[in-house]
Amino acid sequence: MNALKLLLGATLVAALLAGCQSGGGGFSLENLQKVDLGAVVKGVGNLREVKEPEEIQIGQSMTETLLGARPLYDDAQLQRYVNEVGLWVARQSERPTLAWHFGVNDSDHINAFAAPGGFVIITKGMMKQLRNEAELAGVLGHEVAHVIQKHHLKALRKTAFADLLGEGLTAASDNRNTELVRKLTGPTKELYARGLDKSDEFEADRMGVVLATRAGYDPYGLPAVLSTLASADPKDNFLTLLTKTHPLPQARLDRLEPGIATLDAIKAPQNADRFQEFTGKLHLASQ
Amino acid sequence: MKIRTFVFLLFGWLIPAVHAAETGYTLKATEVKDNPFLDAVTLVTLAEKTTVEILNRSGAWMKVKAPDGKQGWIRMLSVRLGTPGQKPPGGGSLLSALGFANRPRPASSSTVTTGVRGFSEEDLAAAKPNPAELEKMKSFAATGAQAAQLAETGKLKATRAVYFDEKGKPLKEKK
Repeated sequence: MNALKLLLGATLVAALLAGCQSGGGGFSLENLQKVDLGAVVKGVGNLREVKEPEEIQIGQSMTETLLGARPLYDDAQLQRYVNEVGLWVARQSERPTLAWHFGVNDSDHINAFAAPGGFVIITKGMMKQLRNEAELAGVLGHEVAHVIQKHHLKALRKTAFADLLGEGLTAASDNRNTELVRKLTGPTKELYARGLDKSDEFEADRMGVVLATRAGYDPYGLPAVLSTLASADPKDNFLTLLTKTHPLPQARLDRLEPGIATLDAIKAPQNADRFQEFTGKLHLASQ
Repeated sequence: MKIRTFVFLLFGWLIPAVHAAETGYTLKATEVKDNPFLDAVTLVTLAEKTTVEILNRSGAWMKVKAPDGKQGWIRMLSVRLGTPGQKPPGGGSLLSALGFANRPRPASSSTVTTGVRGFSEEDLAAAKPNPAELEKMKSFAATGAQAAQLAETGKLKATRAVYFDEKGKPLKEKK
């Protein structure tokens, strides 16, 4: 079995090298297309499943860099509230026992991010666009879906980090792995600036709606957020990274429509009052 | 009484008017129903690009006031926020464009980003790992009991719902 994997690995490396050579020497798009790079990379990545402690380590390292771009917003009450809503939604997922962590960062940009192993960051700017807890649950559900579907791990396999994923990581998941952080900083920046596959975003929308519904919220929270975003100028400075890394909101709404319609009969709370109690201060904060 | 009035005058305007009227317009010809159900009585059909005032939201539906003053329910996905032909100001926030004019809005950042707390590509590119901030984030983690408590006080009942595919068909449940 091991020998087979080794052989397979060697074949894939050879194929990759062939791909590189065609890139360096007689480069042509035709040559490149003959070697299905996507399939090769996928094959390399699939040689070894990333185990949960490693996944958490990777997620922690990536989150350190995301929080390096902007720190947390200074409001402990709000942070705890978002953690409670997020955990309640995540508990309805296929990974209810993962150590889920949520955070609001101090950014005026409108966005939200997930990292492997249960780490989710939502910007203050996004929080300010939301009307109620059902909308928050929808956004967090979308991010939780990215985690349970391991979309970021899949995307990491397309970066220079891919070979490290195959090697396995050593330190215990609760210890800081400085070497890993160092190796992941570049790929993390690359990944969050480039974004995930569009199909993964559409999938996270579909699953996020269902997760929020399972958690007992009005299913239309996420569509309401997308509807808000659809009304904005995609070139708005506060939306540039979101626009670059996601399909346009109207396209996302169009894709959601057939599925969300099946949840129309559900009447469930939006919890606007409680949400506004915790977020009112955001609107008063000086810019 | 006087003090209350004074306090209101002093701070009342600061209360975020989250329920302030939102304006929208129909993306296509849309039926206005007397109740938020597909088989409810149709009161009137609004033409495409009819401006409406949004009074309430419930699930797939928005309660709206039509230009003739009639009120009823239309589907959220048939409505675009804002007014037809309105281009939201570039570099501004969504808020002002969406009728949240009385909410504070971030300063325009079309040329300079000074003072804007960003998460732009540039901020990301310049980021250095911040382990202390990660530890802080972990310190806010909720327990299962806290999450359950939040659900209870919020009248949230865990419900069975299955994932669906691109066409809206239910997917088999994962084990």
